[in-house]
Amino acid sequence: MKTIRNFSIIAHIDHGKSTLADRMIQMCGMVTDREFKDQLLDNMEIERERGITIKSQTICLPYTAKDGTKYTLNLVDTPGHVDFSYEVSRALASCEGALLLIDAAQGIEAQTLANLYLAMENDLDIIPVVNKIDLPSAEPEKVTEQIEEDLGMDGDTIKLCSAKTGKGVDDVLEAIVKYLPPPEGDPEAPLQALIFDANYDPYRGTIISCRIINGRLKTGDNIIFMSNGAEYKVEELGIFHFRREPQKELSAGEVGYIIAGVKTVSDTKPGDTITLKSAPCADPLEGFQEVQQVVFSSIYPISTDDYEDLAAALEKLKLNDAALTFQKDSSAALGFGFRCGFLGLLHLEVVQERLEREFGISLILTVPSVRYNFYLNDGRELIVDNPAHFPDPSTIDRVEEPYIKATILIPERYMGTVMTLCMERRGENTNYHYPMPGRIEFTCELPLAEVIYDFYDILKSVTQGYGSFDYELADYRGSDLVKLDFLVNGEPVDALSQLVHRTKARERGVRGCNRLKEEIPRQMFKIAIQAAIGGSFVARTNISALRKDVTAKCYGGDISRKRKLLEKQKAGKKRMKTVGNVDIPQSAFLAVLKSDQ
Amino acid sequence: MLDSYLSSHREDILPHGLYIHIPFCRSKCDYCAFYSIAGTNLPIERFFKGLHKEISFYSQRSSMANREFATIFFGGGTPTMLSPSSLVELLQLSRNIFDVDDNPEVSIEVNPATVDYNGLLTLRRGGFNRISIGVQSLNDEELRLLGRPHCVAEAEKTMRSARRAGFHNVSIDLMYGLPGQTPSQWRETLLRGLEMEPQHLSIYELTPEEGTPLARRLAEDVCHLPHEDEVLEMMDITVRECTAMGILRYEISNYALPGFECEHNRNYWRAYPYLGLGPGAVSRLNIRRAANVADVNAYCESIEQAGVVPVEEEVLDDETWFREAVIMGLRMLDGVSISELHHRFGINALTYYGEILSKLINDKFLVIDGDHLHLSPLGLPIANSIMARLV
Repeated sequence: MKTIRNFSIIAHIDHGKSTLADRMIQMCGMVTDREFKDQLLDNMEIERERGITIKSQTICLPYTAKDGTKYTLNLVDTPGHVDFSYEVSRALASCEGALLLIDAAQGIEAQTLANLYLAMENDLDIIPVVNKIDLPSAEPEKVTEQIEEDLGMDGDTIKLCSAKTGKGVDDVLEAIVKYLPPPEGDPEAPLQALIFDANYDPYRGTIISCRIINGRLKTGDNIIFMSNGAEYKVEELGIFHFRREPQKELSAGEVGYIIAGVKTVSDTKPGDTITLKSAPCADPLEGFQEVQQVVFSSIYPISTDDYEDLAAALEKLKLNDAALTFQKDSSAALGFGFRCGFLGLLHLEVVQERLEREFGISLILTVPSVRYNFYLNDGRELIVDNPAHFPDPSTIDRVEEPYIKATILIPERYMGTVMTLCMERRGENTNYHYPMPGRIEFTCELPLAEVIYDFYDILKSVTQGYGSFDYELADYRGSDLVKLDFLVNGEPVDALSQLVHRTKARERGVRGCNRLKEEIPRQMFKIAIQAAIGGSFVARTNISALRKDVTAKCYGGDISRKRKLLEKQKAGKKRMKTVGNVDIPQSAFLAVLKSDQ
Repeated sequence: MLDSYLSSHREDILPHGLYIHIPFCRSKCDYCAFYSIAGTNLPIERFFKGLHKEISFYSQRSSMANREFATIFFGGGTPTMLSPSSLVELLQLSRNIFDVDDNPEVSIEVNPATVDYNGLLTLRRGGFNRISIGVQSLNDEELRLLGRPHCVAEAEKTMRSARRAGFHNVSIDLMYGLPGQTPSQWRETLLRGLEMEPQHLSIYELTPEEGTPLARRLAEDVCHLPHEDEVLEMMDITVRECTAMGILRYEISNYALPGFECEHNRNYWRAYPYLGLGPGAVSRLNIRRAANVADVNAYCESIEQAGVVPVEEEVLDDETWFREAVIMGLRMLDGVSISELHHRFGINALTYYGEILSKLINDKFLVIDGDHLHLSPLGLPIANSIMARLV
């Protein structure tokens, strides 16, 4: 156990976490230079494109220290976005230490702090690492000073490196074995294994990633998941060396995988405790929570013929994405689809992109909603996350909506703008302090509904990219909701409906009409767009009929090109949804939410 | 003739069009995105020999044996960049090699001031019987703006010379919707064009093609296209003034005195077969559409060395071809014949398109008139949007 180190890398998005991980993998001789591909750990196409890690992966690195001692370093990778903070916390709970990675040009950001707090809550030892020192704009001295003074960390432990060039990464590896503690735990105690991740393998079922806290586990053992009492028999266990490497046993302090015939990853819950059926432990490990979906949206195939394919695709995604929930839904305008729950908006976008790219299905997503609690006059309680299920207003006694506690880190000069933004979004209990000179850590309680769509984008834009944002769910508070509907040529389009705070409803209606006018192309008829609350209209705009196309000449040499142009136009039309006789483009369904910038 | 085609299911019974492309211009116009080269030291002589060889090549091709050509069209570019005698030689050669109708329509495009009276006389006596003059505008300022290398007076002079040389079937090209143009300016150009007494007019809305100097100027806000309302008024003026002169619109952008419709172009819109010769020229014979390499030097080199022209080919499947025939046919005001389409392609347009088509008819964008399906006055201005539903 003395030669094991379990650690994570925590960082603000884009500070170079995956690059450092890949560089360490290479330096430990896991891959040859020829095999070295950027961002080995970020596998999914979308992850590579967005430069973020969605699905974490763990790897076991054999490392020979400068004094000749051979160590096993378990690098537990964590997802890098606010939507996944619970998953991050469970991954951190399986470690003793963490590298706090900070961009030498950007310095400390909101997620740096959020991750640091998370690591401290899990009692991790921390090595600050200043990355990207090769950048021309790097200011390693300044960032080092920030870490010492603002985070109050020991300057001696700070390591400087460039994961991109490899410079200083050997010192980082050496620091891991020197400064981070080996795991503790009793191999002879009853088994307690912490599940921190699960992946789906089409041949083997769920591959559970876990940390053995106490006890030991062997192939053939019968295990119990303590959250639901489910029993399985261990078919295989081992460690991650890029490929899975089976072992005879895993014991206290080790990080590895278990294959036990678990059919879908949703049966495996991060934070759950595994114990032995024959000698169970007394209590589960602390910190387990059921995953909470906070954003809900309906997904419809543009072509109704694709419904079965969409169902199959969601089933497949679900195998590997425990956080995604879905159930059948239907819309008068869009036909059959699914109501889906997501951890946050990024999660929603990732699912949308995977469905479109990996499964080739064109989709319409409806306006995302949060989950509201309705208390009715007759004493009943109703949970509503879909505008379609909005109860008759006369039956409502009161409503509650979810709030978050937002932490925003900004340079001082943006205080005013950010304050205004939060007020516009119905922020409460704003507070701020100066964690470091020139910077403000602004905290604010906001209705979740006000941030799910474009809050982060707007924050970025009003702070010229300097603002960073993190949040945690707070509680439910009283609200005053109405249902805002949009009508196209007199026909209500249920998929455009949204639940909004009464004070915002008219403004949203006007804005939504304008957005729809921008998004819906002119067609062969005049189109009326209206917004209504209850029975009364609050906004209207018209899209005038298309009166002319450009009628170019067309002779023998132009025919093929002309046909292809028309085919393209037709394909564009196919990506639209026809409601009544109006073709509504995919983009319009989300655009109704967009604010003016 | 159609009956024998229908009974034989053979396309070669249909009238064919022969197109010959001359890829040279005096200078390149600011709106033009077609393939042509301009300047001095043009490889005109080399091209002439190459084209000669390409035409001659067909004397050995049995695939042409049963095909009869009803029309010949020399287009460009500016065909008159070649000398009139060379053009006549090429025409004569074509008539010797291909099976050409006894009384074919033989058209040539000319640009003002690229050919004089004697040249036109040579062309007329050499067998050309239809001429299409690239007038474009009858306003000197507009011509300059378009980068046209001629003036109004030259256009009118070319018209007079053509008449004198014995051309009794003359077409002029005009463009509207030019940057800064008002409807009344367009009316002036159009009336002046009609005063030239052409039998035929091709009237286009200016389309800014990507990559042209004009498109750049528009993108940089140096100039602006007229507003949609103004363009609609110009379209209105066009139909009104032409009709008043007995010149009827028979295709989206073509107008003629009855009996002077361009047979060669109508051939394209009817999806009849055509053979194109010269660089960049396109052929469509049966299901095969082939475009000759659009580069004079590559064209000549290949002809000289290998005796063949490199082509880019597209093979049409039946349905694509059928839909293409529908959208091309709808360009003509009398539209498509449903029975002819059915006989040629084995597809019934009404059942094939089903609801899409019946909706367009119900909404009065398309009209069923006996056997014919055609655009209505309501549908004509938005022909593209309608065709995009049928393609």
